Amino acid sequence: MGEQLVERTAGVGTGLATEDMVLNVGPQHPATHGVLRLRLTLDGEKIVDAEPIIGYMHRGAEKLFEVRDYRQIIMLANRHDWLSAFANELGVVLAAERMLGMEVPVRAVWARTMLAELNRVLNHLMFLGSYPLELGAITPIFYAFREREEIQKVMEEISGGRMHFMFNRVGGLKEDLPAGWLDRARAAIDAVRGRMSDIDAIIHGNEIFHARTKGVGVLTAEQIGAYGVSGPIARASGVDFDLRRDDPYLAYGELGDVLEVVTGTGGDCFERFECLLAQTYNSLDLAAACADRLAALPAGPINLRLPKVLKVPEGETYAWTENPLGINGYYLVSRGDKTPWRLKLRSASFNNIQVLKELLPGCLVADMVAILGSMFFVVGDIDK
Amino acid sequence: MTEKNEKKKAVPGSGLVQGLATTFKNMVTPAHTHQYPDTPPELAPRTRGVIALIEENCTSCMLCARECPDWCIYIDSHKETIPAPTPGGRERSRNVLDRFAIDFSLCMYCGICIEVCPFDALEWSPEFEYAEYDLRDLLHEKERLGEWVETIPPPVALDDAAEEPKEISLAQKAAAKKQAALDAAAQPAAPEPPAEPRGSAE
Repeated sequence: MGEQLVERTAGVGTGLATEDMVLNVGPQHPATHGVLRLRLTLDGEKIVDAEPIIGYMHRGAEKLFEVRDYRQIIMLANRHDWLSAFANELGVVLAAERMLGMEVPVRAVWARTMLAELNRVLNHLMFLGSYPLELGAITPIFYAFREREEIQKVMEEISGGRMHFMFNRVGGLKEDLPAGWLDRARAAIDAVRGRMSDIDAIIHGNEIFHARTKGVGVLTAEQIGAYGVSGPIARASGVDFDLRRDDPYLAYGELGDVLEVVTGTGGDCFERFECLLAQTYNSLDLAAACADRLAALPAGPINLRLPKVLKVPEGETYAWTENPLGINGYYLVSRGDKTPWRLKLRSASFNNIQVLKELLPGCLVADMVAILGSMFFVVGDIDK
Repeated sequence: MTEKNEKKKAVPGSGLVQGLATTFKNMVTPAHTHQYPDTPPELAPRTRGVIALIEENCTSCMLCARECPDWCIYIDSHKETIPAPTPGGRERSRNVLDRFAIDFSLCMYCGICIEVCPFDALEWSPEFEYAEYDLRDLLHEKERLGEWVETIPPPVALDDAAEEPKEISLAQKAAAKKQAALDAAAQPAAPEPPAEPRGSAE
């Protein structure tokens, strides 16, 4: 990159001089999802400098948490990353339960694990569809949405919501599973698994897709460490870190034989896509395994009876979960009130997007779209 | 998956051909989508579509309005005194609901109001076709909220391993208590039917 910069300055004054141009991409731009704004400094087609400017969708979630009780927080928390609502809720209830010293019923633990994995599939399918779309391949998103619909249907049946499930409660889940839901969920998992090959076949081996993504936007392990990048993006660069295995929560500790932490080596756009694809398969396996376990469990409650006013004892804790997009952490400080004194939110996309500053310079504008899409972020998760 | 990739890389253009084969396969299979207004979607009973108000159950206790995370429920009520039912008795006061409105342009569809209502005056209905041209028309007054009542689906049966719903066990307990009281009195009065699972359990 350094050499290219030198080349540019040498060009000045020769008659073919180009001036750096500042290009704003976003906050409302079809190439970005949502309201992410990038300020690019361009030299011709080449990106010299890139600065992600965030905050257009800042909703003050952390401040709002402080004036909401723990049930209301669930409603707010599942919205910052609208594609992984269940996983977001999970962190809040895990933190509160840990502070309260609550033992969650075993059926709730397995049901949560299963729903979290189904949520992961939903999230990944979205990106498996939208990423090719950003590169100009329109068809995969239709297939991805067909599969999403299949899973959303079972999620809607159990929780009543299609995106904002609002199904976790401190001490378990809101309601028990409807009769026959497990069979329908398993049928949906099988159907999706059977048709995943469509998405795989239509885009994964596509030469144009390879040309656009291979070797583009290579993320190094050092950059990942420096910026706190996590999730499938980090694993695609060979950073073998997954909280489901490395700090097991819910029932992941018992799912060691099914859970496969997918890692890549290249760290380029293609590797990130591949990582997401492989992880979707694994999540389907995990969800199926949870369904089997759930069916074998003896009858029992799915939540605990809570007092009318739930107060979390004084203290602090940090609960982190492996969200579909990366590490999602809640730092909960309570002073014994029914609302938290402070609830700090560490969201995956916020950290993941910062590395664009390092990733984009030296690339072409056309590659920017490929890189941006492969970072798998949700703007709400950045701005909170 | 890796071995599959290697296979794909073998012939140039094979990826495109494979993609086209998938496209063709999907072209000849029937469509997965439905023509919405002609074919209404099948919605699960738990679907959170719209909130219905069973006005008779509401005591205007304001719990829902207070618990609502974004305060989109408006309740006005006044107290009315009812003359003593028996001569010499104490006169009673009771809340009369004047206004109950939910602003669906603010509602976040979390269902907390329904969860906290101690008298089951609020219920979810899967109906969703109430879009408006003007945002202000999304404010549903109690008449409109009452219209949704007939679309409330019965609650779903639970999984075999699930615990009994609290309402049923409570009603059974209440019924058993009543029965015991009746037996103890040893009066040949007509046995009361077991209490209804919803609401009427005292």
